Amino acid sequence: MSSKPHVLIIGAGSTGSATAHDLALRGLRVTVIERGEIASGTTGRNHCLLHSGGRYCVNDQEGAIECIQENLILRRIMPHALELNDGLFVALDDEDYAFQEKFLAGCQECHIPAREIPVEQALRIEPFLNPNIKGAVQVPDGVFEPWRFCTSFLATAKKNGATIRNFTEVSDLVFQGNSVAGVRVFDHRTGKTETLGADLVVNATGAWAGMLAAMANVDVPVAPTAGVMVTLGKRFNNMVINRMHRPHDGDIVVPIRNTSIIGTTSWRVTSPDAIEIPQDQIDTMMCAGELLMPILRQARQRGVMAVARPLIASANIDARDFSRTFEAFNHRKQGGAAGIITISGGKTTTARGMAEKVSDVVCAELGINAECKTKTTPLVSYRDFYN
Amino acid sequence: MNLYRPELSRFRFLRWFDFRTWRLGMLAYILNRVTALGLVLYLYIHLVVLTMLAAGPKSWDPFVAIVRSPFFLALDVILLAGLLIHGLNGLRVALTGFGCGVRAQKPLFVALMLFAAIALLIGAIKIFTG
Amino acid sequence: MSLNVTLKILRSRPHQAQRYETFNVNVPDAANVLDAIEQAWAQHDRDLMFRHACHHASCGTCAVRINGAEKLPCIAPVREYIGLEIKIEPLKNFPIVGDLVVDVASFFQKQEASDFTITRPTENELDGRPIAHTDGLDSESAAIVPFNRFENCIECGICLSACPTMAADHKFFGPAALAAVKRQLDKTTDANERAKLLQLADDEQGVWRCHSAWECTEACPQNVFPAESIMALRQEITAQRFKNFFRR
Repeated sequence: MSSKPHVLIIGAGSTGSATAHDLALRGLRVTVIERGEIASGTTGRNHCLLHSGGRYCVNDQEGAIECIQENLILRRIMPHALELNDGLFVALDDEDYAFQEKFLAGCQECHIPAREIPVEQALRIEPFLNPNIKGAVQVPDGVFEPWRFCTSFLATAKKNGATIRNFTEVSDLVFQGNSVAGVRVFDHRTGKTETLGADLVVNATGAWAGMLAAMANVDVPVAPTAGVMVTLGKRFNNMVINRMHRPHDGDIVVPIRNTSIIGTTSWRVTSPDAIEIPQDQIDTMMCAGELLMPILRQARQRGVMAVARPLIASANIDARDFSRTFEAFNHRKQGGAAGIITISGGKTTTARGMAEKVSDVVCAELGINAECKTKTTPLVSYRDFYN
Repeated sequence: MNLYRPELSRFRFLRWFDFRTWRLGMLAYILNRVTALGLVLYLYIHLVVLTMLAAGPKSWDPFVAIVRSPFFLALDVILLAGLLIHGLNGLRVALTGFGCGVRAQKPLFVALMLFAAIALLIGAIKIFTG
Repeated sequence: MSLNVTLKILRSRPHQAQRYETFNVNVPDAANVLDAIEQAWAQHDRDLMFRHACHHASCGTCAVRINGAEKLPCIAPVREYIGLEIKIEPLKNFPIVGDLVVDVASFFQKQEASDFTITRPTENELDGRPIAHTDGLDSESAAIVPFNRFENCIECGICLSACPTMAADHKFFGPAALAAVKRQLDKTTDANERAKLLQLADDEQGVWRCHSAWECTEACPQNVFPAESIMALRQEITAQRFKNFFRR
C-alpha cells in the first residue's frame, strides 16, 4: 500500500473527480480534498450542457472534436447521469441561414453527426420555437446532472481505493526545498488542521487555480471568465436549442428536469467567489433568448446565477474567443516549484479527457508506466459514493 | 466520522408538535394520536367505574347523580368529539391506506370533520337537553 | 434593486453545542435563499458548512428547513420572506455533519435498495404535447442510449425530514425509497423483478409503517407524490395477497 505513490488532488469538481477516477484506475494511491460539497464550484453553477461540439465546430475545431469524442464516451460510461434529448441549431435570419452551410461543413470536419431537418418538423418537436426560423440542424447534444456526474467518478475512484474528503480546505502548501511535499488542510467538520503528505499534488481547482498556484509561487494563465445564466420556472423545450451562428450572448436554451436555462454571457472577473451580476447582462440575455423562443418573454425567472469558467488566457483575445480547450502545466518544467501540476481550461463535457491528459503527465513525472482505461470503464452508481 | 445525532434523541417525537410546519395531513395525524390516547384513558376509567356496579345501588346512585352535573356532561361532549374525530379519521386512513380516494384525501378529511362537527352539535344538544 | 436580509442559521458541529447565529447580508431582489447563504459564507464566515451543486433544483443537495418548512433554498426566493428573519436549519431526521450539512449515507443506501435508476425512457408527452423522437440520428454511436429524461425525484431528502414516522424510527425506508420502488415497478414488466420489488415494499420497514400524514407529498419540491406511491404499493400488495389466497 505505502509503496504506491500518493497523489493528492485538490478540488472535487468535474476535473478533480475524473482525475481521481483515472489515477485510481491506474493503481495509484489517491486522496481528493475539496473545500465544500462535491461539485460546488464551477461545475455546480452550470448550464449542464453535454456538448456535441456543434457550438465550436466553426471557430474552435480543436475544442469541438474534444467535445464530440468525450460526449460519445460519457454516453457509454455514465448513462445514468445524463439526460439525452439532442440539440437543435436554428437559423433565425438569412445571415444565420447563410452560416448553416459553414456549420454543416464544420460538423462534418469534426465528425459531429449532424442532420438538417425540415423547419416544420423542428416546430413540431419544439412548439415554442420562433415560428420564423429559416433552418434547423439536429446534433447529439445532451444534458448532464453535475453532482451525479462528479459523484459517479468519485464513487468509482473510491471503489478503487481513493480517499475523498469534502469540507476540507487547503490552508497552505508544505515545501521540501523547492518541491511541494504536501498540503496543510483545515477540516471544517472537526475544526482541526492537519498536514497531508503527497508525492505529487494536482491542482484541479479550475477557476481558483491561479490562487492555489500563487501559494506555490507559480503562475498559471487561468482567466476566470464569468458567465450569467437565467433559470426559468418551467421547461419550455425538449431539446437543447442553439442559435446557428458564432457563439454569442444568450444564444442557447438548455432544458433540464423542470426548467430551461438561458445562457450565457462572458466577461473577465478577478475573483471567482461571489460574483456580482450586472443587470444589463441579464437583460441582454433575456432579449437574445426571446429571439429563439418568443414565449420566454412571459416566463417567470426562477433564479439567476453567475459562474467563473477556468479558461486558459491568451493575450490580445476577447474573453468570448478564448479556446475551450484544456492544458496541463507541469510547473517544474517551466522553472517553477516541483511536485505540483495544474490542470485547467476545458469544460465539464471534456472532464474525462482532461483527466486522461493530466494523469499522463502525473505518471510521467512519477516514472510510472500505466495506461489510461477510463474510456471503456463503466462507472459505478453515484450512490456508492456513500458506501 | 463523528456526527451529531439528533435523529436518535429519545425525545425526537416532540418534533411532531412543532406546529410551524403543520399542514392538513399533519393536523389529522396529531389529532388521531391525541384522540387515541384520550379514548384509551377513557376505556380504563370506564372499567374502574364499572367495578362500582358490583358494590350495588348504594355506591352507584350517588355516582350517577354526580355525572349528571353540567361539568360531567361537558366531559361527555369531549368524549363524543374524540370518538367522532378518531372514528371518522380512521375511516379515511383505512380507505386511503388501501388506495381508495388517495387523490381526494384532503377534501375527504374536511368533509368527514364537517360531518363530525354537525354530529357533535346534535349530540351536545341531546346530552344537555335529554 | 437589492434587499437586506437577516439569516438566522443553526450552527452545529459534533464537538460543539448547537447555537443560532445571525448574519445580515445584502442580495439582489431576485436572489434565492441559497444566494443569501452563499453571501453569508463569502462575507462573514468561511467556516459555514452547507451543500449545493447546481443552483437549479436538479442535484438535490441543498435542501434545508426555512422557517421550519423543508425547502430547496436554490429556488426559494428571498422576497417571499420580506420583513421576516429567515431561520435556516438542517433537515430533520438525519445525522448532522456540521451546520446545514446532513449525512445522507443511509438515505442513499435505502434509495439503492430498489436499484432505482434516476433516468427513465422519454414519455410520449410533455405538458400534454406530443414529442417526436422516433427518428433519431443516423450515427450508430449517438443511438447507444435512447432519448431519456431524468426522474422527477432529485433525492433531496426533504420527504424524510417531513415524515413523522421517520422522526420516530430512522430505520423506516422512508417516502423517497418507497416512491423509488413504485417507479421501478412502473418501469419493469419482468415478473421476477416485480415480485422482488413488491417484497421489498412489503418489508417490516416498508409501506405498512406509513401512518398517512401526507407530509411527504406536501413537502416534495418536485411533484414525486411519495404518499400516493406508498398507497398504490399497498393496493398492489393487497391485491396480490387476495389473488394468492383464492388460488390456494
